[in-house]
Amino acid sequence: MIAHQVSIFLENKPGRLEKVTSVLKGTGINIRAMTLSTSSAGWGILNLLVDRPETACKKLSEAGHPAVLREIVVVRMQDRSGALHDMLSLLTLAGLNVQNAYGTVLGDNKTAILVIDVEDTEHVQQIFDSAGVQALTSKEVYGL
Amino acid sequence: MYWKPEIEILPQQQLRVLQAQRLQDTLNRAVNSPFYGKLFQKHGIGPETVKSVDDIRRLPFTTKEDLRNNFPYGFLTVPKQGAIRLHCSSGTTGNPTVIFHDNHDLSSWADLVARSLYCAGLRDTDVFQNICGYGLFTGGLGFQYGAERLGALVIPAAAGNTRRQIKLMQDFGTTAIHTIPSYLFRLHGAFQDLGLDPRRDTSLKLFVIGAEPHTDAQRRRIEELFGVKAFNSYGLSEMNGPGVAFECQYQNGLHVWEDAFLTEIIDPDTLEPVPDGEEGELVFTTLDRHAMPLLRYRTRDLTRFLPGDCPCGRTHRRLARISGRSDDMFIIKGCNVFPMQIEKVLMRFAEVGTDYVIELETFDGNDELTVKVELQKEWFTGDIEALEKLSRQIAHEVRDEILVSPAIRLVEPGSLPRSEGKAVRVVDSRKS
Repeated sequence: MIAHQVSIFLENKPGRLEKVTSVLKGTGINIRAMTLSTSSAGWGILNLLVDRPETACKKLSEAGHPAVLREIVVVRMQDRSGALHDMLSLLTLAGLNVQNAYGTVLGDNKTAILVIDVEDTEHVQQIFDSAGVQALTSKEVYGL
Repeated sequence: MYWKPEIEILPQQQLRVLQAQRLQDTLNRAVNSPFYGKLFQKHGIGPETVKSVDDIRRLPFTTKEDLRNNFPYGFLTVPKQGAIRLHCSSGTTGNPTVIFHDNHDLSSWADLVARSLYCAGLRDTDVFQNICGYGLFTGGLGFQYGAERLGALVIPAAAGNTRRQIKLMQDFGTTAIHTIPSYLFRLHGAFQDLGLDPRRDTSLKLFVIGAEPHTDAQRRRIEELFGVKAFNSYGLSEMNGPGVAFECQYQNGLHVWEDAFLTEIIDPDTLEPVPDGEEGELVFTTLDRHAMPLLRYRTRDLTRFLPGDCPCGRTHRRLARISGRSDDMFIIKGCNVFPMQIEKVLMRFAEVGTDYVIELETFDGNDELTVKVELQKEWFTGDIEALEKLSRQIAHEVRDEILVSPAIRLVEPGSLPRSEGKAVRVVDSRKS
């Protein structure tokens, strides 16, 4: 099963991010990782890795936010120097352009995860598969 | 002192007599146009109905809608072959408004602009650089012909390319410039970038500014930056273009050329004349146009007559600076824009809603137009590039429509005022 993140359109204004977190808090959603990309035109897209993306997306949408589920590929890496480079090298070799990626260190202090947001997730899966890197299942991602 | 003293200092009483004669001529011509022919018949009126200048009130008003609905030849009093030039409004929404001129009209217009420029202090020894759009925009050819008629050396520099404008000024010793006020701020910045001080490094002594709303404080700032006196010009394409009303040396209001334009100020709600000196909507009747006379044309511009005589000796009454509009049109970078034009473009994009706010602001002396529009929830894919592309496409199509490049700002759904009722669509915070 392909994992999903929640992407939310936000105006670049004080209090907008807080409106989103307030919805998530009210629903008991746990956020594992996030990135915020802002355009120069006064808005941005918030990407959230959460434990229950469908619920989060539904609740945010009900609260009036443009929110969608976007497919992601999540891989586990060792928490050491050069690990991210090795992963990205695989994608570069395959000529793939990553639109958005982010990572987070897990609680064991030994492993980290890399979240990759691209149009063609299947392609990324294949690249990792053929390099012997195991992508996490959606269940694994949400249970991090 | 005067370009045409026999007209410019004609006592008001005699000016009224001249107006009455010219009004009769105008009505006799107007009746030959399909539009006024039918209108006169419908209301059972004719040139004989109007015996004095005040009788003009017995005629109905002419509006921009009338011009659009009778596009293109409905107002022509002569066969199409008799006209030698047309100017028409910008925009691709609906019919433009088009004005035709015959030989007499172009000559009379050139004379009015020459008179206006002379009134502001331009002389035949001056080098006049006309920095504005040529072509359909009336400021280009209007000032070109007027300044030539006056005998100045005219540089038809047109708009843009600021470095080149400065080079022209230096090469030919430009003494006078006509442009829109916001451009002068940009021009000053360009002088600074080149390490030049226009007060020292040019021969400039006279600016003519118009076609864009600005405050008196902005005018004074321009005068201070360049060490040059700046005079206000007022005109509209339906009344030829420039050369309708102009400031004299005293800069105390704009003398409206009453021999060419019968001027009324009305209450835009009751359509009755306002008491003398009170603000209302300007209404003009052309008194010296042959191919396409217009009767009681509603300009939608708000102003008032200023009381008292002008020390310059001209008897033509003075109008106060235009204070606003009685409709929702606004002017930016010399272009007339109706919010409806922008709305129609937005309606082509399913990705955005139809509620919008237009913001007009001044940054570093440049007027900027921002359109805020709501992103529709169902069209959001989380793709930042797609949204940036959408913004560019909207900006491009708005530019095609209004000729001004907007900034497009996507906002969250539900964050703009709803379209019901009298939602404020234009927020104009342009300041000096």
